[in-house]
Amino acid sequence: MKAKYLMLFVVLLVVSVSASALAAPFDPETFVYISGAGSPQTLDPAAAYDTASGEVIHQIYDNLFEYVDGDLDHIGPVLATEVPSVANGLMSEDGRTVRVPIRKGVKFHNGADLTPEDVKYTLIRNMLADPAGGPQWMFFEPLLDVQTMADVVAMVGGPESFVDIDEVDAAVLLKAYEKVASTIEVDGDDIVFHLANAYPPFINILTKGGSWGAVLNKDWMIANGAWDGNPETWSKWYDLALEDMTCYEKANGTGPFRLETWDKSGSQTIYSRFDEYWQGPAKIKTAFIKDIKELSTRVLMLRAGDADGIYVGQDELEQVRDLPGVVVLEGLPQMTNTVLFYSFTIPTEGNEDLVGSGKLDGKGIPSDFFADVDIRKAFNYAFDYEAYLNEVAQGAGVIPKGAVPQVLPFVNPDQEYYNHDLKKAEEHFKKAFGGEVWEKGFEVGIVYNTGNDQRKTALEILEYNIKSINPKFKVNVVGLEWATVLDKLRSASLPVFVLGWLADFPDPHNFTVPFMHSSGTFAGYCGQGLIDLAKEEFDELIDAGIKATDPAEREAIYYDLQERYVDLAISLPFIEATTHRVMRDWVQNFIYTPAYSANFDFYTVYKEEK
Amino acid sequence: MLTYITRRLLFLPVVLIGVTLMVFVVMSFLSPYQLVSAYIKSPEELKNQSLDDLVRKYGLDLPPHIRYVNWMRNLLKGDLGYSVSANMRVTEAIAQRFPATIELAMFSIIPVIFGGIWLGTISAKHYNKPLDHISRTFAIIGWSLPDFVFGLLMLMFFYGVLGWFPPGRLSNWADTVVLTGDFVRYTKMNTIDSLLNGRMDIFWDAVRHLVAPIITLSYLWWAFLLRITRSSMLEVLNKDYVRTARAKGLGERTVINRHVRRNAMIPVATVSGSMVLGLLGGVVIVETVFDYKGIGLLTATGAQQLDYTLILGTTLFYGLLLVLTNLAVDMFYAVIDPRVRLE
Repeated sequence: MKAKYLMLFVVLLVVSVSASALAAPFDPETFVYISGAGSPQTLDPAAAYDTASGEVIHQIYDNLFEYVDGDLDHIGPVLATEVPSVANGLMSEDGRTVRVPIRKGVKFHNGADLTPEDVKYTLIRNMLADPAGGPQWMFFEPLLDVQTMADVVAMVGGPESFVDIDEVDAAVLLKAYEKVASTIEVDGDDIVFHLANAYPPFINILTKGGSWGAVLNKDWMIANGAWDGNPETWSKWYDLALEDMTCYEKANGTGPFRLETWDKSGSQTIYSRFDEYWQGPAKIKTAFIKDIKELSTRVLMLRAGDADGIYVGQDELEQVRDLPGVVVLEGLPQMTNTVLFYSFTIPTEGNEDLVGSGKLDGKGIPSDFFADVDIRKAFNYAFDYEAYLNEVAQGAGVIPKGAVPQVLPFVNPDQEYYNHDLKKAEEHFKKAFGGEVWEKGFEVGIVYNTGNDQRKTALEILEYNIKSINPKFKVNVVGLEWATVLDKLRSASLPVFVLGWLADFPDPHNFTVPFMHSSGTFAGYCGQGLIDLAKEEFDELIDAGIKATDPAEREAIYYDLQERYVDLAISLPFIEATTHRVMRDWVQNFIYTPAYSANFDFYTVYKEEK
Repeated sequence: MLTYITRRLLFLPVVLIGVTLMVFVVMSFLSPYQLVSAYIKSPEELKNQSLDDLVRKYGLDLPPHIRYVNWMRNLLKGDLGYSVSANMRVTEAIAQRFPATIELAMFSIIPVIFGGIWLGTISAKHYNKPLDHISRTFAIIGWSLPDFVFGLLMLMFFYGVLGWFPPGRLSNWADTVVLTGDFVRYTKMNTIDSLLNGRMDIFWDAVRHLVAPIITLSYLWWAFLLRITRSSMLEVLNKDYVRTARAKGLGERTVINRHVRRNAMIPVATVSGSMVLGLLGGVVIVETVFDYKGIGLLTATGAQQLDYTLILGTTLFYGLLLVLTNLAVDMFYAVIDPRVRLE
């Protein structure tokens, strides 16, 4: 018996010693970032529109421009040699012609040289592909003043809409191609863009951080099955399923890292240093982005040194703040806001769980309840911004001044905004519907997507305050699965809901359109009432704001829009959250850029043992 | 027995069609805009998305019966569709993830079953004595502990404190070799593939990553087997032939091993069959905590994201697994108990 136990002890000793010996030592050439946000949807820059995909594309590709040292106001050239401006003569006075000199001596990962033709092919191919739900609207809007390739087809005489592009006449398709192709031309070593109108943030759209501006290699693309450049065949590649697109899982960029593999079953991407990178090789040789859902596992891996950086949610930061050898950078500004939206025209039939009786009888709300500006203002005054910021968001953010986050240009810092004032809320409730609301009361369901506790608490704050104003006011916080939220958004059936908006590029236009334009994302979810109001109050100004080239003129327009938005209480942005990064203390030269999807730029960071 | 097996196998397609039809009927209660959440996974991805365009593009607006017929038609060609949550075809996703689950099950099943039987035997042998109480308490604690909590405790101790057994299936260096080098992934089971490639370093690395999940699974399942083995053994211990064996002067070890344990194994075999099935079906929590990406995690993620092609595909797969495992258990039953004849 004793021999048995001795044997067991020896086995355990051997296992433990060998296991310890196998533990990874500090490796300055390997960088591991563990996200918890899910896997990329696609690696094709024409289609990628989610953060996880953008994070991967960031490491592999270069864009024409980049933000220098994380400064959104300082754009520098990358694959371009100069940043176009009126001053350097590369941009016309009217802002409609933009010339971009393309850098020479840049190599793709397959060894091919970058040419202006590659840049042209990339952008034309991406627009022609225009996958549904993708980012190509950012090129259609400045270049052709439309939103989609289907709009281009309609513009040249094709059908207003179609189910299958094969149904469209070949001559129309050819014209549509010519329309798109006419917007970008190669002129010697330059690329020349012909814009439909002036579009000040056009350079931002082409700047790193926007995965849609990543430059592809034409020959490699064609060899790998992409559109062959033939004007008559493009429709074969139009709106393909993500997995059928050429760069869905493979990549050939000019960036500092090659994609070694996208290990989908292991939820990780692996990169190796591109030694011929035109700016010189990175210090990191191998990099990993892994997706691990469980926070405790991520934290343990960070502590053990198996991860150099990890994703940690704002409400989970307490778990890592005091860990030895771990650095938490907080208060990093983001181009984002979180907003309480009101639906101006709510369907009442079949929506009883949220609008009750559908009448102003104390047991529900009528369809146009939030079309009354006093109701919206009352709700805005009832929210406790400070309490939310300090108690719920733990101070990680700022109170907004309007629809556009203050990290962006043309936000009036002196704009008066709502504060927590129950007296004013009461005044507005008394005025609403000619005093009927105050007399009869109401009952409404306000919605958040389940799993987001911060948003739930925001609504509970609102619920508590509104109920405290008048006992006849009943507000029910309702958590719905994201799928159900989507379904109800589509039919504008949510009376009040909370969503966040993350900008694509740092310009107020990217907030005024979704929040205030009649064709914007949220107008569609907030009912016809908002669409009508937007047409009357905002559309003209928003269109003028994006076409203006004079910064002073733009400032005046966006200040005006900001004031109107606040005065009309269109919706309620209640926080512009800041973000953070969690990393080991050996990570050096971390540069934060608010416009980048990538949590870590593997090219700039390096590791140095403490 | 052959007739029995043939009959069960002939019944298989009916079971599978029934199961998938049921899932499809349930899924058909969801609107196209609910199903589109598989493509727009969070509010942050809403952006400028046109929900209508996505619904149209992915055919989510087609009537459910048409979608089912399309799905069946593709199934006959061996295509289970594309999984948006796994970013690959469903057949490929199952082929990638199932070997990981088999590997975990294969290494777990021995300590789970033998450990459980051993504990059960000890308990029965020392009925109502301190050893019985200790082993039962030990196992019942494991059964009572939520797998999530125990898994995390194991991870914290073996990885966080001792640094021995890390999460995942392989270390970063080994992943680089396996995924990007000349390493051939014959079975997609790292332990076996590493041996076939002659890479002992990767074999040990794979084993190192398996230890903590195996310990967790074993401890969590032991109480279940202990209880079955113990009660079954106690029943057999009171049989006349055991008393006779003892009266004949046979040693206690012989009595237990030859006369008691073998006869007590019949209910244990049945339970073990469902345990194997449970392990092969994936152990979501253990896979989550140890970042061990097996089929359980794949299915759970697909279900959370309403990825209906994946849900259908894995349902079909689980149905197949269930029928075949039950068949195997029935056959094993006949082998260990000569009184049982399959007809």
